[in-house]
Amino acid sequence: MKRHLSTEQLSSFVDAEIGHAEMRELELHLEACPYCRSRLSSMRRLVVEIRQMERATPPRDLAYQVKAQVVAHGEVRTLERRVRDFFRSLVFDPSVRAATAMGLGTVMVAGFLLWQSVPPVPPPHHGANVLKVSTTFGETPLGLPETTSEVAGREFVWSGDRWVQKGLEWRQPDARVMLASPEGQAMISRHADLMLLLTDGSRVVMRYRLGTVELSKG
Amino acid sequence: MGVATVSTLIHSLDVDVELAERHRCGDTQAFNEVYARFEEMVYNLAFRLSGNYEEAADLTQEIFLRVYRHLGSFGGRSTLKTWIFRIAINHCRDRLSRWRPLTQPLGDDPGEGEVTYADPSRGPEELAVAADEGRRVAEGLARLPSAFREAVVLRDIEGLSYEEIAEVLGVRIGTVRSRIARGRDQLRALLEIRS
Repeated sequence: MKRHLSTEQLSSFVDAEIGHAEMRELELHLEACPYCRSRLSSMRRLVVEIRQMERATPPRDLAYQVKAQVVAHGEVRTLERRVRDFFRSLVFDPSVRAATAMGLGTVMVAGFLLWQSVPPVPPPHHGANVLKVSTTFGETPLGLPETTSEVAGREFVWSGDRWVQKGLEWRQPDARVMLASPEGQAMISRHADLMLLLTDGSRVVMRYRLGTVELSKG
Repeated sequence: MGVATVSTLIHSLDVDVELAERHRCGDTQAFNEVYARFEEMVYNLAFRLSGNYEEAADLTQEIFLRVYRHLGSFGGRSTLKTWIFRIAINHCRDRLSRWRPLTQPLGDDPGEGEVTYADPSRGPEELAVAADEGRRVAEGLARLPSAFREAVVLRDIEGLSYEEIAEVLGVRIGTVRSRIARGRDQLRALLEIRS
Protein backbone atom coordinates (compact mmCIF):
# COMPACT_ATOMS: atom_id res chain seq x y z
CA MET A 1 0.00 0.00 0.00
CA LYS A 2 1.73 3.15 -1.21
CA ARG A 3 -0.84 5.79 -0.31
CA HIS A 4 -1.14 7.01 3.29
CA LEU A 5 -3.89 5.53 5.37
CA SER A 6 -7.21 7.36 5.56
CA THR A 7 -8.54 8.67 8.88
CA GLU A 8 -11.28 6.07 8.63
CA GLN A 9 -8.76 3.27 8.27
CA LEU A 10 -6.73 4.53 11.23
CA SER A 11 -9.84 4.91 13.37
CA SER A 12 -11.09 1.41 12.53
CA PHE A 13 -7.59 0.05 13.12
CA VAL A 14 -7.55 1.56 16.63
CA ASP A 15 -10.91 -0.10 17.34
CA ALA A 16 -9.88 -3.39 15.70
CA GLU A 17 -13.13 -3.16 13.72
CA ILE A 18 -11.70 -4.40 10.43
CA GLY A 19 -11.21 -7.78 8.87
CA HIS A 20 -8.10 -9.85 9.47
CA ALA A 21 -6.70 -9.38 5.98
CA GLU A 22 -7.13 -5.62 6.03
CA MET A 23 -5.63 -5.46 9.51
CA ARG A 24 -2.53 -7.27 8.24
CA GLU A 25 -2.29 -4.94 5.25
CA LEU A 26 -2.51 -1.83 7.46
CA GLU A 27 0.09 -3.23 9.85
CA LEU A 28 2.51 -3.70 6.94
CA HIS A 29 1.93 -0.13 5.82
CA LEU A 30 2.36 1.27 9.33
CA GLU A 31 5.66 -0.58 9.74
CA ALA A 32 6.97 1.18 6.68
CA CYS A 33 5.38 4.64 7.06
CA PRO A 34 6.48 6.95 9.93
CA TYR A 35 3.88 9.57 8.94
CA CYS A 36 0.96 7.17 9.37
CA ARG A 37 2.52 5.76 12.56
CA SER A 38 2.56 9.24 14.01
CA ARG A 39 -1.08 9.81 13.04
CA LEU A 40 -2.00 6.46 14.54
CA SER A 41 -0.29 7.31 17.80
CA SER A 42 -2.06 10.68 17.90
CA MET A 43 -5.41 8.96 17.29
CA ARG A 44 -4.69 6.45 20.07
CA ARG A 45 -3.81 9.22 22.53
CA LEU A 46 -7.08 10.96 21.77
CA VAL A 47 -9.10 7.78 22.27
CA VAL A 48 -7.35 7.15 25.60
CA GLU A 49 -8.14 10.73 26.67
CA ILE A 50 -11.81 10.33 25.77
CA ARG A 51 -12.02 7.01 27.58
CA GLN A 52 -10.37 8.44 30.68
CA MET A 53 -12.87 11.23 30.88
CA GLU A 54 -14.85 11.51 34.04
CA ARG A 55 -18.09 9.57 34.17
CA ALA A 56 -21.02 11.30 35.75
CA THR A 57 -22.74 9.36 38.48
CA PRO A 58 -26.50 9.85 38.66
CA PRO A 59 -27.76 11.83 41.67
CA ARG A 60 -28.72 9.59 44.57
CA ASP A 61 -32.40 10.50 44.47
CA LEU A 62 -32.75 9.95 40.72
CA ALA A 63 -33.87 6.35 41.17
CA TYR A 64 -36.55 7.50 43.59
CA GLN A 65 -37.71 10.22 41.18
CA VAL A 66 -37.86 7.81 38.24
CA LYS A 67 -39.91 5.32 40.24
CA ALA A 68 -42.24 8.08 41.42
CA GLN A 69 -42.68 9.17 37.76
CA VAL A 70 -43.41 5.61 36.77
CA VAL A 71 -46.05 5.27 39.47
CA ALA A 72 -47.62 8.61 38.51
CA HIS A 73 -47.46 8.44 34.72
CA GLY A 74 -46.11 5.07 33.73
CA GLU A 75 -49.32 3.56 32.52
CA VAL A 76 -48.38 0.55 30.40
CA ARG A 77 -50.06 0.62 27.02
CA THR A 78 -52.37 -2.35 27.24
CA LEU A 79 -54.48 -3.50 24.30
CA GLU A 80 -57.51 -1.79 25.81
CA ARG A 81 -55.54 1.43 26.19
CA ARG A 82 -54.29 1.22 22.60
CA VAL A 83 -57.83 0.79 21.29
CA ARG A 84 -58.98 3.73 23.42
CA ASP A 85 -56.08 5.84 22.17
CA PHE A 86 -56.92 4.90 18.59
CA PHE A 87 -60.52 6.05 18.90
CA ARG A 88 -59.40 9.14 20.77
CA SER A 89 -56.95 9.94 17.97
CA LEU A 90 -59.85 9.74 15.49
CA VAL A 91 -61.42 12.64 17.32
CA PHE A 92 -58.52 14.68 18.62
CA ASP A 93 -55.59 14.09 16.30
CA PRO A 94 -55.82 16.85 13.66
CA SER A 95 -54.09 14.70 11.05
CA VAL A 96 -56.61 11.88 11.51
CA ARG A 97 -59.66 14.02 12.25
CA ALA A 98 -60.12 15.19 8.65
CA ALA A 99 -59.85 11.63 7.34
CA THR A 100 -62.29 10.43 10.00
CA ALA A 101 -64.79 13.13 9.10
CA MET A 102 -64.53 12.24 5.40
CA GLY A 103 -64.91 8.55 6.15
CA LEU A 104 -67.91 9.17 8.38
CA GLY A 105 -69.50 11.40 5.74
CA THR A 106 -68.97 8.75 3.06
CA VAL A 107 -70.54 6.07 5.25
CA MET A 108 -73.56 8.28 5.98
CA VAL A 109 -74.11 9.14 2.31
CA ALA A 110 -73.72 5.49 1.31
CA GLY A 111 -76.14 4.46 4.05
CA PHE A 112 -78.71 7.04 2.92
CA LEU A 113 -78.46 5.95 -0.74
CA LEU A 114 -78.82 2.31 0.28
CA TRP A 115 -81.83 3.14 2.40
CA GLN A 116 -83.40 4.99 -0.54
CA SER A 117 -82.84 2.06 -2.89
CA VAL A 118 -84.44 -0.56 -0.64
CA PRO A 119 -88.21 -0.90 -1.32
CA PRO A 120 -90.41 -0.26 1.71
CA VAL A 121 -91.35 -3.33 3.68
CA PRO A 122 -95.03 -4.18 3.14
CA PRO A 123 -97.23 -4.36 6.20
CA PRO A 124 -97.50 -7.86 7.61
CA HIS A 125 -100.09 -9.93 5.85
CA HIS A 126 -102.36 -11.71 8.25
CA GLY A 127 -103.15 -15.07 6.85
CA ALA A 128 -106.23 -17.14 7.61
CA ASN A 129 -104.65 -18.70 10.68
CA VAL A 130 -103.78 -15.42 12.30
CA LEU A 131 -106.83 -14.07 13.96
CA LYS A 132 -107.41 -10.61 15.07
CA VAL A 133 -107.86 -10.94 18.82
CA SER A 134 -110.67 -8.92 20.17
CA THR A 135 -111.70 -10.86 23.17
CA THR A 136 -113.09 -9.24 26.24
CA PHE A 137 -111.98 -9.25 29.79
CA GLY A 138 -115.20 -8.94 31.71
CA GLU A 139 -116.76 -5.86 30.25
CA THR A 140 -113.49 -4.31 29.25
CA PRO A 141 -111.98 -5.02 25.85
CA LEU A 142 -108.50 -6.29 26.33
CA GLY A 143 -107.09 -4.26 23.50
CA LEU A 144 -104.55 -6.92 22.63
CA PRO A 145 -102.50 -6.40 19.50
CA GLU A 146 -103.68 -7.93 16.27
CA THR A 147 -101.75 -11.04 17.05
CA THR A 148 -100.98 -12.27 20.48
CA SER A 149 -97.32 -12.61 19.79
CA GLU A 150 -96.47 -10.67 22.85
CA VAL A 151 -98.03 -13.22 25.17
CA ALA A 152 -95.39 -15.28 26.91
CA GLY A 153 -92.99 -14.11 24.24
CA ARG A 154 -94.76 -16.27 21.69
CA GLU A 155 -97.27 -15.84 18.89
CA PHE A 156 -100.57 -17.65 19.33
CA VAL A 157 -103.32 -18.36 16.83
CA TRP A 158 -106.96 -19.19 17.51
CA SER A 159 -107.80 -22.66 16.28
CA GLY A 160 -111.56 -22.61 16.97
CA ASP A 161 -111.54 -23.91 20.51
CA ARG A 162 -108.18 -22.98 21.92
CA TRP A 163 -105.14 -20.75 21.53
CA VAL A 164 -102.26 -22.60 19.92
CA GLN A 165 -98.70 -21.42 19.77
CA LYS A 166 -97.84 -20.74 16.16
CA GLY A 167 -96.10 -23.73 14.66
CA LEU A 168 -97.81 -26.24 16.94
CA GLU A 169 -101.18 -26.21 15.13
CA TRP A 170 -101.02 -29.87 14.15
CA ARG A 171 -99.36 -31.18 17.28
CA GLN A 172 -101.18 -33.14 19.91
CA PRO A 173 -100.25 -31.96 23.43
CA ASP A 174 -97.79 -34.17 25.26
CA ALA A 175 -99.31 -33.16 28.59
CA ARG A 176 -102.36 -31.41 29.96
CA VAL A 177 -101.82 -29.07 32.85
CA MET A 178 -104.42 -27.54 35.11
CA LEU A 179 -103.87 -23.96 36.08
CA ALA A 180 -104.33 -24.78 39.77
CA SER A 181 -101.67 -27.51 39.72
CA PRO A 182 -98.09 -26.75 40.76
CA GLU A 183 -96.96 -27.05 37.14
CA GLY A 184 -99.73 -24.68 36.06
CA GLN A 185 -98.75 -22.19 38.74
CA ALA A 186 -95.13 -22.50 37.72
CA MET A 187 -96.06 -21.70 34.09
CA ILE A 188 -98.12 -18.70 35.17
CA SER A 189 -95.47 -17.40 37.51
CA ARG A 190 -93.05 -17.54 34.62
CA HIS A 191 -95.42 -16.17 31.97
CA ALA A 192 -98.02 -14.15 33.87
CA ASP A 193 -99.53 -12.72 30.69
CA LEU A 194 -100.87 -16.16 29.74
CA MET A 195 -103.79 -15.26 31.98
CA LEU A 196 -104.98 -12.93 29.23
CA LEU A 197 -105.72 -15.97 27.13
CA LEU A 198 -106.94 -18.20 29.93
CA THR A 199 -109.36 -15.79 31.60
CA ASP A 200 -112.36 -16.55 29.38
CA GLY A 201 -111.88 -20.28 29.90
CA SER A 202 -109.91 -20.86 26.71
CA ARG A 203 -107.21 -23.47 26.65
CA VAL A 204 -103.68 -22.64 25.61
CA VAL A 205 -101.34 -24.99 23.81
CA MET A 206 -97.75 -24.01 23.93
CA ARG A 207 -94.19 -25.25 23.95
CA TYR A 208 -92.99 -25.63 27.51
CA ARG A 209 -89.89 -27.43 28.75
CA LEU A 210 -89.22 -29.27 25.50
CA GLY A 211 -92.76 -30.55 25.29
CA THR A 212 -96.16 -29.44 23.98
CA VAL A 213 -98.39 -28.61 26.91
CA GLU A 214 -102.08 -27.74 27.05
CA LEU A 215 -102.89 -25.39 29.89
CA SER A 216 -106.45 -24.80 31.04
CA LYS A 217 -108.28 -23.32 34.00
CA GLY A 218 -110.18 -26.43 34.87
CA MET B 1 -17.94 -13.73 16.52
CA GLY B 2 -16.65 -16.68 18.52
CA VAL B 3 -18.75 -19.56 19.84
CA ALA B 4 -18.44 -18.31 23.43
CA THR B 5 -19.49 -14.80 22.41
CA VAL B 6 -22.50 -16.11 20.50
CA SER B 7 -23.65 -18.23 23.44
CA THR B 8 -23.14 -15.27 25.81
CA LEU B 9 -25.22 -13.09 23.50
CA ILE B 10 -27.99 -15.70 23.30
CA HIS B 11 -27.99 -16.02 27.08
CA SER B 12 -28.13 -12.25 27.44
CA LEU B 13 -31.02 -12.05 24.96
CA ASP B 14 -32.88 -14.76 26.90
CA VAL B 15 -32.45 -12.78 30.11
CA ASP B 16 -33.63 -9.59 28.36
CA VAL B 17 -36.72 -11.26 26.89
CA GLU B 18 -37.52 -12.84 30.24
CA LEU B 19 -37.33 -9.41 31.90
CA ALA B 20 -39.74 -8.00 29.33
CA GLU B 21 -42.08 -10.96 29.82
CA ARG B 22 -42.04 -10.49 33.57
CA HIS B 23 -42.81 -6.80 33.10
CA ARG B 24 -45.71 -7.70 30.81
CA CYS B 25 -47.07 -9.97 33.52
CA GLY B 26 -46.99 -7.16 36.06
CA ASP B 27 -43.80 -8.05 37.95
CA THR B 28 -42.64 -4.62 39.18
CA GLN B 29 -39.26 -6.01 40.14
CA ALA B 30 -38.45 -6.54 36.44
CA PHE B 31 -38.36 -2.82 35.75
CA ASN B 32 -36.28 -2.23 38.86
CA GLU B 33 -33.71 -4.69 37.52
CA VAL B 34 -33.66 -2.95 34.15
CA TYR B 35 -33.23 0.39 35.86
CA ALA B 36 -30.38 -0.83 38.03
CA ARG B 37 -28.60 -2.26 34.98
CA PHE B 38 -28.87 0.77 32.73
CA GLU B 39 -29.29 3.83 34.94
CA GLU B 40 -25.64 4.86 34.88
CA MET B 41 -25.24 4.30 31.14
CA VAL B 42 -28.37 6.24 30.25
CA TYR B 43 -27.50 9.09 32.61
CA ASN B 44 -23.99 9.36 31.15
CA LEU B 45 -25.26 9.31 27.61
CA ALA B 46 -27.83 12.00 28.42
CA PHE B 47 -25.14 14.04 30.16
CA ARG B 48 -22.72 13.81 27.22
CA LEU B 49 -25.42 14.72 24.73
CA SER B 50 -27.04 17.51 26.73
CA GLY B 51 -23.96 18.86 28.49
CA ASN B 52 -25.84 19.58 31.66
CA TYR B 53 -26.28 17.55 34.84
CA GLU B 54 -29.80 18.68 35.64
CA GLU B 55 -30.95 18.19 32.11
CA ALA B 56 -29.33 14.77 32.08
CA ALA B 57 -31.36 13.84 35.17
CA ASP B 58 -34.59 15.06 33.53
CA LEU B 59 -33.78 13.21 30.32
CA THR B 60 -32.97 10.04 32.25
CA GLN B 61 -36.35 10.19 34.00
CA GLU B 62 -38.19 10.65 30.72
CA ILE B 63 -36.21 7.93 28.98
CA PHE B 64 -36.96 5.41 31.72
CA LEU B 65 -40.61 6.38 31.68
CA ARG B 66 -40.62 5.47 27.98
CA VAL B 67 -38.74 2.28 28.72
CA TYR B 68 -41.32 1.38 31.38
CA ARG B 69 -44.23 2.00 29.02
CA HIS B 70 -42.78 0.03 26.14
CA LEU B 71 -40.75 -2.68 27.86
CA GLY B 72 -43.61 -5.12 27.38
CA SER B 73 -43.28 -4.80 23.61
CA PHE B 74 -39.55 -5.60 23.63
CA GLY B 75 -39.31 -8.70 21.47
CA GLY B 76 -35.62 -9.58 21.68
CA ARG B 77 -34.74 -8.65 18.10
CA SER B 78 -31.83 -6.71 19.57
CA THR B 79 -30.31 -6.71 23.02
CA LEU B 80 -32.04 -4.72 25.72
CA LYS B 81 -28.95 -2.53 25.90
CA THR B 82 -29.14 -1.38 22.28
CA TRP B 83 -32.94 -1.12 22.53
CA ILE B 84 -32.65 1.23 25.52
CA PHE B 85 -29.84 3.22 23.91
CA ARG B 86 -32.00 3.66 20.82
CA ILE B 87 -34.85 5.03 22.94
CA ALA B 88 -32.38 7.25 24.78
CA ILE B 89 -30.74 8.65 21.64
CA ASN B 90 -34.09 9.33 19.95
CA HIS B 91 -35.47 11.00 23.04
CA CYS B 92 -32.38 13.16 23.52
CA ARG B 93 -32.45 14.21 19.87
CA ASP B 94 -36.14 15.05 20.10
CA ARG B 95 -35.89 16.97 23.36
CA LEU B 96 -32.64 18.75 22.65
CA SER B 97 -33.53 19.76 19.12
CA ARG B 98 -36.67 21.58 20.20
CA TRP B 99 -35.36 22.80 23.49
CA ARG B 100 -31.99 24.38 23.24
CA PRO B 101 -28.47 23.68 22.01
CA LEU B 102 -25.63 23.10 24.44
CA THR B 103 -25.35 26.24 26.50
CA GLN B 104 -23.21 25.14 29.39
CA PRO B 105 -19.73 23.77 28.85
CA LEU B 106 -19.40 20.21 30.01
CA GLY B 107 -17.62 19.71 33.28
CA ASP B 108 -18.76 22.96 34.92
CA ASP B 109 -20.68 22.85 38.14
CA PRO B 110 -21.57 19.25 38.58
CA GLY B 111 -24.57 20.25 40.67
CA GLU B 112 -26.24 17.28 42.25
CA GLY B 113 -24.48 14.79 40.03
CA GLU B 114 -21.24 13.40 41.27
CA VAL B 115 -18.11 12.95 39.24
CA THR B 116 -15.97 9.87 39.35
CA TYR B 117 -12.60 9.48 37.71
CA ALA B 118 -11.37 6.60 35.70
CA ASP B 119 -8.67 5.79 38.26
CA PRO B 120 -9.51 6.94 41.76
CA SER B 121 -6.17 5.72 43.10
CA ARG B 122 -4.34 8.71 41.54
CA GLY B 123 -3.17 11.55 43.76
CA PRO B 124 -4.84 14.98 44.03
CA GLU B 125 -2.46 16.71 41.58
CA GLU B 126 -2.78 13.98 39.04
CA LEU B 127 -6.56 14.05 39.49
CA ALA B 128 -6.59 17.81 38.97
CA VAL B 129 -4.59 17.47 35.74
CA ALA B 130 -6.83 14.63 34.60
CA ALA B 131 -9.92 16.69 35.42
CA ASP B 132 -8.51 19.58 33.42
CA GLU B 133 -7.74 17.33 30.46
CA GLY B 134 -11.14 15.76 30.79
CA ARG B 135 -12.77 19.16 30.75
CA ARG B 136 -10.91 20.10 27.57
CA VAL B 137 -11.97 16.91 25.84
CA ALA B 138 -15.54 17.29 27.06
CA GLU B 139 -15.71 20.85 25.75
CA GLY B 140 -14.31 19.72 22.42
CA LEU B 141 -16.82 16.89 22.29
CA ALA B 142 -19.66 19.31 22.96
CA ARG B 143 -18.61 21.32 19.89
CA LEU B 144 -18.84 18.39 17.50
CA PRO B 145 -21.82 18.08 15.18
CA SER B 146 -24.39 15.93 16.97
CA ALA B 147 -24.14 13.00 14.53
CA PHE B 148 -20.38 12.72 15.16
CA ARG B 149 -20.75 13.34 18.89
CA GLU B 150 -23.33 10.54 19.21
CA ALA B 151 -21.08 8.08 17.41
CA VAL B 152 -17.95 8.99 19.40
CA VAL B 153 -19.82 8.93 22.73
CA LEU B 154 -21.36 5.54 21.99
CA ARG B 155 -18.01 4.12 20.94
CA ASP B 156 -15.43 5.70 23.23
CA ILE B 157 -17.47 6.43 26.34
CA GLU B 158 -20.11 3.72 26.32
CA GLY B 159 -17.92 1.14 24.61
CA LEU B 160 -20.45 -0.14 22.07
CA SER B 161 -19.24 -2.09 19.05
CA TYR B 162 -19.71 -0.68 15.55
CA GLU B 163 -22.50 -3.17 14.96
CA GLU B 164 -24.32 -2.10 18.13
CA ILE B 165 -23.90 1.58 17.25
CA ALA B 166 -25.34 0.92 13.80
CA GLU B 167 -28.36 -0.69 15.46
CA VAL B 168 -28.81 2.14 17.95
CA LEU B 169 -28.52 4.89 15.35
CA GLY B 170 -30.35 2.99 12.64
CA VAL B 171 -27.56 3.44 10.09
CA ARG B 172 -25.16 1.14 8.26
CA ILE B 173 -21.83 0.08 9.74
CA GLY B 174 -20.00 2.03 7.02
CA THR B 175 -21.73 5.19 8.21
CA VAL B 176 -20.79 4.43 11.81
CA ARG B 177 -17.15 3.91 10.78
CA SER B 178 -17.13 7.21 8.94
CA ARG B 179 -18.85 9.19 11.71
CA ILE B 180 -16.50 7.91 14.40
CA ALA B 181 -13.42 8.64 12.29
CA ARG B 182 -14.58 12.12 11.33
CA GLY B 183 -15.69 12.88 14.87
CA ARG B 184 -12.33 11.87 16.28
CA ASP B 185 -10.50 13.80 13.59
CA GLN B 186 -12.49 16.98 14.27
CA LEU B 187 -12.07 16.55 18.00
CA ARG B 188 -8.31 16.15 17.65
CA ALA B 189 -8.16 19.30 15.53
CA LEU B 190 -10.23 21.22 18.10
CA LEU B 191 -7.99 20.12 20.97
CA GLU B 192 -4.84 21.04 19.05
CA ILE B 193 -6.19 24.52 18.36
CA ARG B 194 -7.06 25.01 22.00
CA SER B 195 -3.73 23.76 23.31
